[in-house]
Amino acid sequence: MVDNSNKYLLQVHELKVTYFPANGDPVRALDGVSLDICSGEVVGILGESGCGKSTLASALLKMLPPQAKCEDGSILFRGRDLLSLPERDLRAIRGQEISLIPQDPALALNPVMTAGSQVSEVLRSHLPLNTQQRRQGVLDLLREVGFNEPQEIYSTYPHQLSGGQRQRIAIAQAVACRPALLIADEATSELDVSLQAEIVTLLSQIRRQHGTAILAISHDPVFFAGFADRMAVMYAGRIVEVASTDVIFGRPLHPYTQALVRIATSSVVTGAAKSARLPVIDGETPNPTSLPVGCRFEPRCCERMDVCSRRYPPEFMPAPLANVNCFKYGEHVD
Amino acid sequence: MSTNSPANRGNEPEPIGRFLCASGLCKKYARGSLWQKDRSITAVRDVDFEIQHGKTLALVGASGSGKSTVARCVARLERPDSGQILIGGTDIAQLHPSELAPFRSRIQMVFQDPVTSMNPRFSAREVIEEPLIISEPTIIGRQSGQVGYTREDRRDLVRTLMAEVGLSPDWMDRSILHFSGGQRQRLALARALVLRPQLLVLDEAFSGLDLSTQAQIANLLLDLQEAHQLTYLLISHDLALVVHLADVIAVMSGGRIVEIGPTQQIILNPSEAATKKQLVSAKLATAKFAAAVGAQG
Repeated sequence: MVDNSNKYLLQVHELKVTYFPANGDPVRALDGVSLDICSGEVVGILGESGCGKSTLASALLKMLPPQAKCEDGSILFRGRDLLSLPERDLRAIRGQEISLIPQDPALALNPVMTAGSQVSEVLRSHLPLNTQQRRQGVLDLLREVGFNEPQEIYSTYPHQLSGGQRQRIAIAQAVACRPALLIADEATSELDVSLQAEIVTLLSQIRRQHGTAILAISHDPVFFAGFADRMAVMYAGRIVEVASTDVIFGRPLHPYTQALVRIATSSVVTGAAKSARLPVIDGETPNPTSLPVGCRFEPRCCERMDVCSRRYPPEFMPAPLANVNCFKYGEHVD
Repeated sequence: MSTNSPANRGNEPEPIGRFLCASGLCKKYARGSLWQKDRSITAVRDVDFEIQHGKTLALVGASGSGKSTVARCVARLERPDSGQILIGGTDIAQLHPSELAPFRSRIQMVFQDPVTSMNPRFSAREVIEEPLIISEPTIIGRQSGQVGYTREDRRDLVRTLMAEVGLSPDWMDRSILHFSGGQRQRLALARALVLRPQLLVLDEAFSGLDLSTQAQIANLLLDLQEAHQLTYLLISHDLALVVHLADVIAVMSGGRIVEIGPTQQIILNPSEAATKKQLVSAKLATAKFAAAVGAQG
């Protein structure tokens, strides 16, 4: 692993996170998640609510809620294990080397501070700049994220801005210190379609100009098209498939990925007539307190075999650079 | 089941023709502080549309175009400043709340967020039967001459409805906290259906849900519409989903309906700039995806 530390920016290995609610059974939100991200790469995490994708995002910054615990695994960032770093060192990393674009900027921004001073705050806590330089830096950032009149935006309050503008302010905050890794947790799901496309364009542009690696998280496959290089599909706390975006969309391997892509395809605007039923995945995601022993998708899978309910499928590699946890692609003799 | 049983009561013979006709709807919201009440913004201006029995009208448009305000006026959660909303010859736009009771049971609303639109201390059964308990003394008791629903009647009705929306009736006494987002949206539908309404107003009823859950709920809505000849007023910013559900699409922009017509016509031959813009952005957003899937699939 040490050999690869130059190639990989971030290496997550067998990460396990459990929530211990005050009343009720512990919930294993992440169950052995491994993922590598190279410098300048855009990796997408595709999964539905409750699959653990947001837990992964907060675990990477070690910002899990108090009732959650990292039980096992490691998170190596440029060769250093974030899980064993003291809080003081982590604060230097957060915002400067790894930063987060929040899902809901309306909640993440301070309502009584102007947009400009909130971006300026990030610069002040990480970089030795004087007031003049900071102001100039903020104006440059605001222009970079697409504001034509940064002077005016500098002194507006979040409530005076639209949803898309607020998201741009949050992005300006996140890229202020030129981090090596940007985590975008459902960064566009609150916005309408045309704004979503604009934000994706902005993120691609930031990546091109500064070589920033991006870990993008969404429940919508469409979000990743033309944006992510590789994608990891999560289901009930585990990654079930990792492959290049072309493979995920063109020849998805795991039955869950296949179903998701099928549903997303039917949501592309066409002249389809009313009353044609949409393709669906039968059933619901499993209850996280009582997960199946075998493959977690097995109860809803239309290609299940006997072995699927008995044990969890190991990782198979049916195509170069495509990993999938499904018995369809390998031994299933018990 | 006898014809007098609660589940069948209120099922009228299948009606045809116009169900609702709105004309000249206007709604302003007061804005500014207590001392500047005169400042206001016009959310909806001169909106006209009709909905046919058993059909779906979808209102689409960018955020802030007035879709939700129209929906809230139709459900009479807001009182329009001017204009008419005719249902079977009665204008409900300016009716006093006390006279609205008979219409409330015919028009039910499903909200965007199934988590915040329910009392977290209720069980599934309490959520679904609450409209029955509230409306009973006012309409059902008076109109049908029956004394009302017994506890057992209500339980039966809840059981039927839960099965109908795809939830196990055995879960009726569980707290709603144990239901997932998609299951709660099913509960919200069951609650809306309990009074056997004719019109459901669905205000962004999908947007908080996962993709696969959205598809399940969309299919459920189509099934329910076929089974009960329901009329839908659907509000959504997701044009792709709307195409699957709507008979007629009305495109809103700046508080007005700029274009209204059959779904196929709007999608294939849009005439207004605002409609084209909506279509282009929806197609652009999915173009790369469609290309990626089509390239190899």
